[in-house]
Amino acid sequence: MSTTSRERILAAAKANKPAELPLPTVPDFGGEATVERFTTVLAGIGGTVVRMGGPEELEATLQQLFPEARHVASPLFRGTVPVDRETPTSILAEIDLAVLPGEIGVAENGCVWLPEANMLHRALPTITQHLALVLDQRRIVATMHQAYAQLPDTGGYGKFVAGPSKTADIEQSLVIGAHGARSLVVLLY
Amino acid sequence: MSHAIRADKFLLDADRTTWHDETLWFVREKRDRAVYGVPEFQELRELASGIKNHTLSRLDLYLQEFEAAAQANGVHVHWAADAAEHNAIILDITRKAGATRIVKSKSMLTEECHLNPYLMQHGIEVVDTDLGERIIQFRDEPPSHIVLPAIHLKKEDVGDTFHTHLGTTKGESDPQRLTEAARQHLRAKFIAGEVAISGVNFAIAETGAVVVCTNEGNADLGVNLARVHIAAMGIEKIIPRLSDLGVFTRLLARSATGQPVTTYTSHFAKPAPGKEMHIVIVDNGRTQQLGRPDFRASLKCIRCGACMNTCPVYRRSGGHSYDFTVPGPIGAILSPNIDMKKHASLPFASTLCGSCTDVCPVKIDIHTQLYKWRQVLGEANEIPASKKWSMKFMGRVLASTRVYGLGGQFARKALRLLPHGLTHAPSMNAWAVARELPEAPKQSFREWYAKQPAAQPAPSQTSA
Repeated sequence: MSTTSRERILAAAKANKPAELPLPTVPDFGGEATVERFTTVLAGIGGTVVRMGGPEELEATLQQLFPEARHVASPLFRGTVPVDRETPTSILAEIDLAVLPGEIGVAENGCVWLPEANMLHRALPTITQHLALVLDQRRIVATMHQAYAQLPDTGGYGKFVAGPSKTADIEQSLVIGAHGARSLVVLLY
Repeated sequence: MSHAIRADKFLLDADRTTWHDETLWFVREKRDRAVYGVPEFQELRELASGIKNHTLSRLDLYLQEFEAAAQANGVHVHWAADAAEHNAIILDITRKAGATRIVKSKSMLTEECHLNPYLMQHGIEVVDTDLGERIIQFRDEPPSHIVLPAIHLKKEDVGDTFHTHLGTTKGESDPQRLTEAARQHLRAKFIAGEVAISGVNFAIAETGAVVVCTNEGNADLGVNLARVHIAAMGIEKIIPRLSDLGVFTRLLARSATGQPVTTYTSHFAKPAPGKEMHIVIVDNGRTQQLGRPDFRASLKCIRCGACMNTCPVYRRSGGHSYDFTVPGPIGAILSPNIDMKKHASLPFASTLCGSCTDVCPVKIDIHTQLYKWRQVLGEANEIPASKKWSMKFMGRVLASTRVYGLGGQFARKALRLLPHGLTHAPSMNAWAVARELPEAPKQSFREWYAKQPAAQPAPSQTSA
């Protein structure tokens, strides 16, 4: 590491910065924290919401939604592939379906907060062919402000996931399934 | 070579130009629909601008706070004064890791520093994993847009490129099938990747984490499979608090593509056990821009590309006509800071209509800065002689009533008498290359006014 560059950059930033300006306070803008809004917005970005009566219906619901899935990983039930942070890439690459607990849903944009602790392996939510996130509907908030207000910190790694992986890099044609999961379903109870 | 000359090349294909123009305008319209759905959008812009202004006013302090928090997270922090140092640091990390295969997600900074050719010269394989970036990497072209790097290409061009490099069927141009071919090709690269390089959308001083926003998931896949993660960021990516992300994540994707948020908003704070994470903090001219009061607001940019999508000049001249990593209106105010002589024509690639300023999510006064760069360039003698002398000449004419009146008379006569081939000669009158001059009137307004009978005095008002 170049200590001189560090000192030079910091000195230049100090010398060239403008007089101190205030840091604005960000208000809570309120908004609509409903299942309906969350469902509509998520559908608009290529995801799906499936309602369940309760977490006990999870396996039956999955059976119905993903009858073909053979390599399934989940911390919520005994999947067919055990995954932890040591699992080699070659095994992760074969996973058809990952079923992970989401923490917070955001109605304005359809995203779900997924912390590292819920992922089994950091690469699992993107390397799996299909992703299902299980979410308690009482954890839906209206906006990103409210979502961040509920996060004490973001841990070592964590992400908001909004729908399936997608791209429009070829002539602006939307294609679902770029590099990450080809589909995303939120199982709401 | 000036922007106008490079734009001429782009304009040779009229159909493609029209397609480019309409496609980007379509993105602008999507942006509008997304923005109108958020009642507090204008307040969010004001907040974002305020947070960035505040951060710039304490930049040295926030950088140190960020560094300390990142180090406490077990992250190695590096500082690079310029592109060469940035590249050398990344090569050094890669070599120390004993690696030869790098996967890279989108980073305008590494483009700015020309990292790829540098690493390849040193025997390292670098694979750009964003689909658009992979396409242009195959074609050995720079990106033409910061969010839509291959927007200058048609699907048939991509089909040809993939036929050559990925062995897809000749003539295949279906975006779905081409994307699937890239997915399969890049999966193998992700799995083989030893070092992953990512850009940084936001760096949070409070937590030391970096936030990366993608739709494809390529940053997450690359970083989480590789042994080493290198995140490269300009000093201006800092924001103070985690809660500030509420503002910026609501603005970024809506302004960029009209999506409510990017598919993945990923927070990288600590390396996974047994792995390494590095952050390279880069200046490369940014502290100099911070010291220019007229232009420092350009450092608030969050790289959404909204100013490009709306710009009537960008849409009709293409990103490559700017010959700078960041094209469009924002590029035209960033580039003269880096090399005033080379990029002298860019602040003139604008109608000063102000549409860029209207859509900017962090309220950068882009068109005002374009105007101010023109003054700086004029004083530094960096504008072409023809423009300089014609401006001086017009300045004289417009400053004198008499000269202006005589000039008008002369021009009206000349336009009537001279042949069309001369008045519209492209070599003499660039304005008329694609336009017709209006028919010259017989007299000017002033001449007409002088011939009117004296006005009657207005009847005096009677009180009620």
